[in-house]
Amino acid sequence: MADTVMECRNLWKIYEKITAVKDVSLEIKEGEIKLLFGPSGSGKSTLARCLALLTTPTKGDVFHRGECLTRPGVNLNKARARIGFVFQHIWLFHHLTALGNVELGLRRVLKLPKKEARERATKALREVKMEEWANHYPAQLSGGQQQRVGIARALAMDPYIIILDEPTSALDPELIGEVTDTLRALAKKGTTMFIISHEMQFAREVADEMIFFNQGMIVEEGPPERFFTKPSSDRAKRFMERLIKRTTKE
Amino acid sequence: MDFIIEFLPRIFDGFLVTIQVTFFGVIMGLALAIPLAIGDLYGGKIVSTIIKFYVEFFRGSALVAQLFIFYFSIPTLLNIRIDWFTVGLVAFTLNSAAYQKGYIKGAMESVYEDQMTAALSIGLSKVQAIIYVVLPQSLRIVIPAWSNEFCSLAKSTAALLTIGGKDLTAAGRTMASQTWRILESYTFIALIYFLWITTVMKALDILYNKVKIPGLEVSA
Amino acid sequence: MDPLSQLSFILWGVPTTLAISILSFLSGLALGIPLAFIRVYMGKPFQVMVDLYEKILRGVPEIVMMLLLYFGVGLALGLKPFDEAFFAVTFALGLRSGANQSQIFRGAIRGVGESQMIAARSLGLPTSQAIIHVMIPQTFIIATPGLGSEYALLIKDSAYAFILGVLETMKRTDILRMTTFDTVFPYFASAFIYILLTFPLATYLDMWGSRKRKELGL
Repeated sequence: MADTVMECRNLWKIYEKITAVKDVSLEIKEGEIKLLFGPSGSGKSTLARCLALLTTPTKGDVFHRGECLTRPGVNLNKARARIGFVFQHIWLFHHLTALGNVELGLRRVLKLPKKEARERATKALREVKMEEWANHYPAQLSGGQQQRVGIARALAMDPYIIILDEPTSALDPELIGEVTDTLRALAKKGTTMFIISHEMQFAREVADEMIFFNQGMIVEEGPPERFFTKPSSDRAKRFMERLIKRTTKE
Repeated sequence: MDFIIEFLPRIFDGFLVTIQVTFFGVIMGLALAIPLAIGDLYGGKIVSTIIKFYVEFFRGSALVAQLFIFYFSIPTLLNIRIDWFTVGLVAFTLNSAAYQKGYIKGAMESVYEDQMTAALSIGLSKVQAIIYVVLPQSLRIVIPAWSNEFCSLAKSTAALLTIGGKDLTAAGRTMASQTWRILESYTFIALIYFLWITTVMKALDILYNKVKIPGLEVSA
Repeated sequence: MDPLSQLSFILWGVPTTLAISILSFLSGLALGIPLAFIRVYMGKPFQVMVDLYEKILRGVPEIVMMLLLYFGVGLALGLKPFDEAFFAVTFALGLRSGANQSQIFRGAIRGVGESQMIAARSLGLPTSQAIIHVMIPQTFIIATPGLGSEYALLIKDSAYAFILGVLETMKRTDILRMTTFDTVFPYFASAFIYILLTFPLATYLDMWGSRKRKELGL
């Protein structure tokens, strides 16, 4: 039985007017890939950010490798350093080159010496096939290339899990492939990932388990095949039909 | 033209005063504006209210009144003596910081949210995120506004003559009253101001283009 | 003199301060709008001229400009009415404000965007009509916050008029200091008066401008 990498128990996130996450519990094991999907505005991003400790949950606990990180007095910076996060709108540091983006955390968080940081950053860029673009600034790269740098930035910190918040949904359709290919390669290597995505073909290939999320709650979870053949809940069924119709049309 | 040559040393001394006060004011103003902007953004309600009062005093009142307060009122209150040059350095620094705080805060806000979240996600602390991510970008964006601030500060140093300062304008006034070549004297002084202000602004423009982030179009 | 009568002595300067700032603001407006449209819509030689005008007026201190106009043009050359200190001051500030307002309006014209002009022309409006009926109204909304701070700037800069002896707020403050030998109260009082004159208006215009922009989606 593999170790649990990340876990949340009875997680709530309540904003002034809306409840974005309602009593969610989930668990991700070493080497596992879980894929979350559901309608927009259902609280997926909020959940991802709570898990990555970028947002403080209102109630409930988040554990990373058995350690509770929602207790007071936890060094969140240290914790975040070991959780990779890839943003929907990419958010590279505009003033740094691709290499600089990847190096920043290695130098300033892990305090690696210059040479070592460079080597590790270059290795991470090579892994996403962006090595030759190392000296370009984000604004000089295409959206797909930028997102690959974003993945390399997360990867370089040697995280025990990477959380990806709709990594392809802000991209032009023709650029999605290069990003999903990168993620496939990571999956093959056994990287633990929590992915929010609506790329159903990709999901079917890589996910160990899929989670259908709606109105801040987990509606249904299970292996991909079950979702593609006969999802048990009506909502999931209808949502899947719509998604699949959309992808086959394209 | 003889009268100009005769007065050149004096003009030059006055020009040096103008340059010194301007550069000191702009640079120290920036040094003070950065912590003020950070304090306003992250310092909580009390800190930002204090900063607001400070800024409103220096931005809302006439510069001449500020110079007089530093030259007459504060020495009386504290029972000390301050010469006009020191008053110039202090008053222009505090005045400029009040304006620059606004520009820097605006630039920081424009890069703030997303970049801050991204910086936190790789494990940087808030302070590190400000130093390594938010400030480097904000300071680049702020250069054009900074150039305008330089321009208006350089011009307002002429107000030093109201507290007996011996700056470029004062030198011009002396030249005008002693030679009776009034129009020529002031035109000459105006020309010097125009040339040095335009040159520095051009230099800042070149700097802006040089440090601009390749491919990125931004405006503060 | 008790503080209250001291205060009222200074306050009698406020109408003059307002007169200088309002008149120079209006002259600046009358100069700035045409300059901005000339700079954007007319040929290269005009652009160069407008740029030069802006550069000169923004590169020469207001005080030097006032001294030049009053002592140089007014008294030395004897050109009327520059020998009137009030006129010389207002004229100098008006010219400077024209340069600033030209820049404010130019930015606003860019903000309104090319598409509005093209849309207006597509209806068959000639350029001049398009400028008057389509561009200027929208330009004003975008320019309002900038104009607010320009007006506040003029109120503060009008204090330079005291150098030429114009009996406005600052001059009265200085007279008060010389007659009462009080070096504290008059200056703080007048600083406070200037804040009262600048702050509410600039803040209001800023708020009005951003609300209006949001409403119209500009």
